[in-house]
Amino acid sequence: MNIIGRRKLWYAISLAIIVPGAISLMLHGLKLGIDFRGGQLMEVQGGVEQVEVLRIADQQQLKDVTVISAGNNTLIRYRSSSDDVKRQQLDRQTLSSQLQGSGHPEVRYENVGPSVSADITKKAVISIALASLAIVLYIAFAFRNVPPPMTSWNFGVTAIITMLHDAFLLLGVFSLLGVFFEVEIDALFVTAILTVIGFSVHDTIVVFDRIRENLRRQRGEFEQIVNNSILETLARSLNTSLTVLLTLLALYLFGGQSIQQFVLALLIGIAAGTYSSIFNAAPLLVSWHNYKQKRIAKRP
Amino acid sequence: MSLRTKVWLILALTIVTALITWPRESDLLKLVGIKNVNLEVKQGLDLQGGAHLVFKADAAELAKLNQTDREKAMTGLIDVIQKRANPAGTSEITVQRQGSDRVIVELPGVQNVAEAVNKIGKTAQLTFLEVDPSTQTPTETGITGKDVEKAEVGFSQSNQPVVTLQMKGPATKQFGDLTTRLNKTNGQLLTLLDDQPIFGPATVSSPITDGRAQLEGNFGSIAEARTVADQITAGALPIPVTLVEERTVGPTLGRESIAKSLVAGIIGLAVVAAFMVAYYRLAGVFAVGALIIYTLLTLTIYKISGLTPYSIVLTLAGTAGFILSIGMAVDANILVFERMKEELRSGKAFATALESAFDRAWTSIRDSNVATIITCVILYLFSGTALIKGFAVTLGLGVLISMFTAIVVTRTLLRLSLRYSWGQKPSFYGVRSAEVERP
Repeated sequence: MNIIGRRKLWYAISLAIIVPGAISLMLHGLKLGIDFRGGQLMEVQGGVEQVEVLRIADQQQLKDVTVISAGNNTLIRYRSSSDDVKRQQLDRQTLSSQLQGSGHPEVRYENVGPSVSADITKKAVISIALASLAIVLYIAFAFRNVPPPMTSWNFGVTAIITMLHDAFLLLGVFSLLGVFFEVEIDALFVTAILTVIGFSVHDTIVVFDRIRENLRRQRGEFEQIVNNSILETLARSLNTSLTVLLTLLALYLFGGQSIQQFVLALLIGIAAGTYSSIFNAAPLLVSWHNYKQKRIAKRP
Repeated sequence: MSLRTKVWLILALTIVTALITWPRESDLLKLVGIKNVNLEVKQGLDLQGGAHLVFKADAAELAKLNQTDREKAMTGLIDVIQKRANPAGTSEITVQRQGSDRVIVELPGVQNVAEAVNKIGKTAQLTFLEVDPSTQTPTETGITGKDVEKAEVGFSQSNQPVVTLQMKGPATKQFGDLTTRLNKTNGQLLTLLDDQPIFGPATVSSPITDGRAQLEGNFGSIAEARTVADQITAGALPIPVTLVEERTVGPTLGRESIAKSLVAGIIGLAVVAAFMVAYYRLAGVFAVGALIIYTLLTLTIYKISGLTPYSIVLTLAGTAGFILSIGMAVDANILVFERMKEELRSGKAFATALESAFDRAWTSIRDSNVATIITCVILYLFSGTALIKGFAVTLGLGVLISMFTAIVVTRTLLRLSLRYSWGQKPSFYGVRSAEVERP
């Protein structure tokens, strides 16, 4: 099986998924949940008609009301007309008691003030930045001795590009989900991104580890050695991802409603991580190698 | 350590962890003479139901204070909130500081959060004023809630709920002097709680020299009188606070989440087990054995951690981290088994293939897991929310424990089976005989 030979096809597939997401990210960004922008969220039992919520919302002068169904329950997101806690409690009581009257008791309520959401956002940015930095340092350390023709620099940069691929793919898909399905991101989404970044590196390292080992032991074309390494680790990569994806699928289908989006983010990210560790990471090494060779050949 | 010892140790570990994980482990503990030890996996508010409240101290008031006074005010604030939220000190309410200006209050299973919020957030400044009988102008007496030792609920002669106050030692005389004077001059006493009259203005029928005052306010119910009494006893908030975050989960949703997570966990475990056995045969069976020990060991650690100050609190996201770690736990096994297949195919003897598979896979296992552990540590340290911390703890712990079970347990079981002839069939490890190179 020649995976390296078809690398342009693999890059094209990645781009085909990333580009629409990236465009959506630029145009619409991510739909931020109350964790990041503040506001109120109420989950009630059963399916509630949007008109019913809007009628109450109009009386109470609630703003930015969205009603979406979440399994057997309904999520109502809104923003009280005032930052005053008394007003917010009144809004909650009115909405809650009227919906309870029509057979939809409240099961969850969240109210996030602007100072808290600013704090969550700040911490999300810090933890993503720190985790990325720590992982980059770790990659540099893990690949400190790589035999020629590769350098630890090549391995490290490629692993980071692969990691960014997975993170951007996830961000793009959620931007699209936000546009088409009103999916909002919450604090747990940040956790999903970090987990995916960790898993992406975890997966790429196993393939690179094998390339490093084979570069020491095997003689031959660089392309061939890389292709052999991918094939040798293919069963492991697919099987590990399969077991992880199977457990996530079980969680998605049978687990709690409140974490379904989080699990979906992990599913998408980990599937992307598996794809990129097989079809992007090592092929990129070969592309880079060939580019360097051409530059050397062109020199007079 | 000989192989035999290792096998016995693994067996012992399995039995002990299984007994601890068993839902009625307290009965078993009683049998061996350990009583009154309650081993339970601690559940976060999103699983057991309850309210998570965050109060923020008023920034303008904090800015007026210097560093030491600010710290004092925050400590005092937590103290007062603690007394108000949990006057009897019996319920499992936690009050803790977050950052420089916030206080987190966690109320498990509280039904009426709005009432709790009002009770906690009230400034509760108690003041005594004297009212001039002719001009009706109130003037401050200098006696405030700080002079009150404690407040309790009692009943008046007409059986109405009242709040009784006990003045502190030095204030008893002051209060006695005041009431004596008011009694003589026919003046009136007015008591305000947060600028709202709770007693008077009314004349003083006799001087109060023992420091025991009775506030016959118009308390509608015993509960209302109790709230006022608790607020006076707890004292005034040193700094006004506002509620900036509330997350309430009803007990039904929490129970539902637990039930669903349990189902998802069992299905996830079963599917992974089925896959491992189908693909890696005998080796897969050992991996499943290791996975079961992994699950038991993890649950045991969750339970035992409850006895230490570092108890692990299982949240909904935490269960997701645990279930995810089941899928990741077999990764180390898969890495080893794939190596072993390669070694077997190249014609190596079983024992050699096994040992070199473990040796060669080790760098990959170590290097790849470090990345996940790094993210977990950063999530734990910098996320700030309990939800995310729960996930980081369970996933990080899962990765560490699984490295132990996947390597030590699986390796021992494989070594044991290779001592017997039945364990030495390539097909038992997912390798067809025809694939094996004959030297």
